[in-house]
Amino acid sequence: MKLSKTLIVAAILTTITGQTALAQERKSVAYIAPSLDIDYWQWVAHGVQQKAEELGMDYVEYTSENSPAKQMDNARVAVTRGVDAIVIGPVSSTSTPPFLNYLEQQGIPVAFAGIGPQPGLTNFTSAVTANNYETGIAQGTYTCELAKERGGNQVGMLSLPQDRENAQKYLAGAREAFEANGCELVQILETKGLTINEAVTQANDLLTANPDIKAIYGMYDQAGTGAAKVLETRGLVGEIGITVADGSPTTIQLMKDGAIQGIFFQEAVGQGIDATEQVWKALKGEETTQNLALVMPLVTADEIDSDKAKAVVARVFPQN
Amino acid sequence: MNTEAQSISRALNIGPSILGTYRTEIAIAIAIVVLMLGVGAFIPAALSAGNFANILQAAAPLVIMSLGVLLVVLTGGIDLSVGSVFSLTGMVTALIMSWGWGSVPSAAAGLGVGLIFGSINGLLVTAVGLAPFVVTLITYAVAGSLAFIVTNGRSMGIGAPDFWLLNSGQLIPGIANYVLFCVAFAALLELALRKMTFGRWFYAVGSSANAAHLLGVPVKRTRFSAYVFSSLMASFAGLLTVSYILNAESTAGASLMLQAIAAVVIGGASLFGGTGSAIGAVLGALMITVIQNGVNLIGINSFWQGSVTGIAILIAVLIDRFSHK
Repeated sequence: MKLSKTLIVAAILTTITGQTALAQERKSVAYIAPSLDIDYWQWVAHGVQQKAEELGMDYVEYTSENSPAKQMDNARVAVTRGVDAIVIGPVSSTSTPPFLNYLEQQGIPVAFAGIGPQPGLTNFTSAVTANNYETGIAQGTYTCELAKERGGNQVGMLSLPQDRENAQKYLAGAREAFEANGCELVQILETKGLTINEAVTQANDLLTANPDIKAIYGMYDQAGTGAAKVLETRGLVGEIGITVADGSPTTIQLMKDGAIQGIFFQEAVGQGIDATEQVWKALKGEETTQNLALVMPLVTADEIDSDKAKAVVARVFPQN
Repeated sequence: MNTEAQSISRALNIGPSILGTYRTEIAIAIAIVVLMLGVGAFIPAALSAGNFANILQAAAPLVIMSLGVLLVVLTGGIDLSVGSVFSLTGMVTALIMSWGWGSVPSAAAGLGVGLIFGSINGLLVTAVGLAPFVVTLITYAVAGSLAFIVTNGRSMGIGAPDFWLLNSGQLIPGIANYVLFCVAFAALLELALRKMTFGRWFYAVGSSANAAHLLGVPVKRTRFSAYVFSSLMASFAGLLTVSYILNAESTAGASLMLQAIAAVVIGGASLFGGTGSAIGAVLGALMITVIQNGVNLIGINSFWQGSVTGIAILIAVLIDRFSHK
């Protein structure tokens, strides 16, 4: 009787200890988004969550509402909550040094997704970003090609705000491509609100001031949608080429309709997946890659229904 | 000869009367013309018919929203919720359309957003007695948040094939609907404010609510109707924009609230209430749009638009102040 009691207690203790060990082994990852008011960061979040589920990690999400102070608060809250790893889309590259210093002290691996840390910093696990400069060159080359096919060499650009490092890299690459291919970048208009409505107004103004433009370089998704709307209104669909970076269901449909000729897809979901994989490896003590600059693949109208394009799109936005 | 003299006399009487009533508005109209000519000197296409159409299209939502905000400002209040109501209207309309409902019920649901938020604003200001700034700050936050919640933050395309007609169709042949709506709303509001008793109540409430009450003006009802009208106009502006770009975005109205208030102030309205006109609000909205258009056409960094708009407001306020001395 005494023996059986001892065995039962031992069994219970073993079960409890085992469950505690399992609970301790189950890791968690926090995703800190700069804001969740634009689709892109929601898609990165989807990638982080998807990979976390696949790896058996718990997932928690914070938004910094574009405030570096809130971003820092989120890091402290995540640490207090006991997360094991962090994936972040920072508010800006320059906001990252204190954030990284704090998390380094806490021994928490950090991976960046979408926007990288301030250049020169090394105290992070991985930075999974788009290769904006190379994409700028590729998109610039393709945009110039479209302009020439349409009998001109003038191109216009609807740009992200040029105070962003990624926008500067896109522009540097595009300028290089235009110069190398004999195209003239006649005007750049920078967005403030990242809305389609603003892009419509700017595309209209771009074409009014520069009627000889033969192709438009859209540096962000809404720019492509806005430019396409303007061409449709002016009866110029196909007569002026449009290329766009990022990609979304809206711009894919516009490409199928013939209003947009090429999309350079930024793999938002893929960045979330890869960043989560990197912090997971760090937690396991495996080798990580500190700089993962993902190429933004071009998909053109004639190949949008191919298997290759579908694989690309699956890493851009959630498919359900 | 006698008849001629009488008609000249009448003209002389009417002339100064119009000049006196619309002094600020005429000054703004002249400023807009000067601005456009100035931009046209650099970019001749700025004075083309196509660019005028661009400006009108870009200005239409702001014009309509400004007319609503004007009524609130006339009563001495403020409406900070219009941008969020604008966004939420678009999202609700697109969402309901995605469920297979047609354009009319979806648009009606969108306008329902304006009706609900306007009523909440009006009730909290009049029945509860909360400050308009606080009330509309709350509804600004709530409506802005709901604009994300209803579709989980995703922008939505418009499915109904006939919805574009609301903005770009022609109820009167030769005149696009967005122009017609702007002109009709502005004319009706100006007429009501100048010529109708209930229109004058808004000025009376804004000038002195106590005095208006003693004179028998239904102060609370007047204020309530101003907030409802303001939200409905914001909703309608949202519908018009969605109809134009056939896409609804959660942040679409984010910048419009301040622009609408700026348009009303540029147009000669006082934030203390009691002064302003529908024509002034229209011209204020046009001026902001012309500035944005000009800055883009000339190729000035768009970040300067805020500074230029701020200076325009300052000039307008100074003109108004000195012209009344």
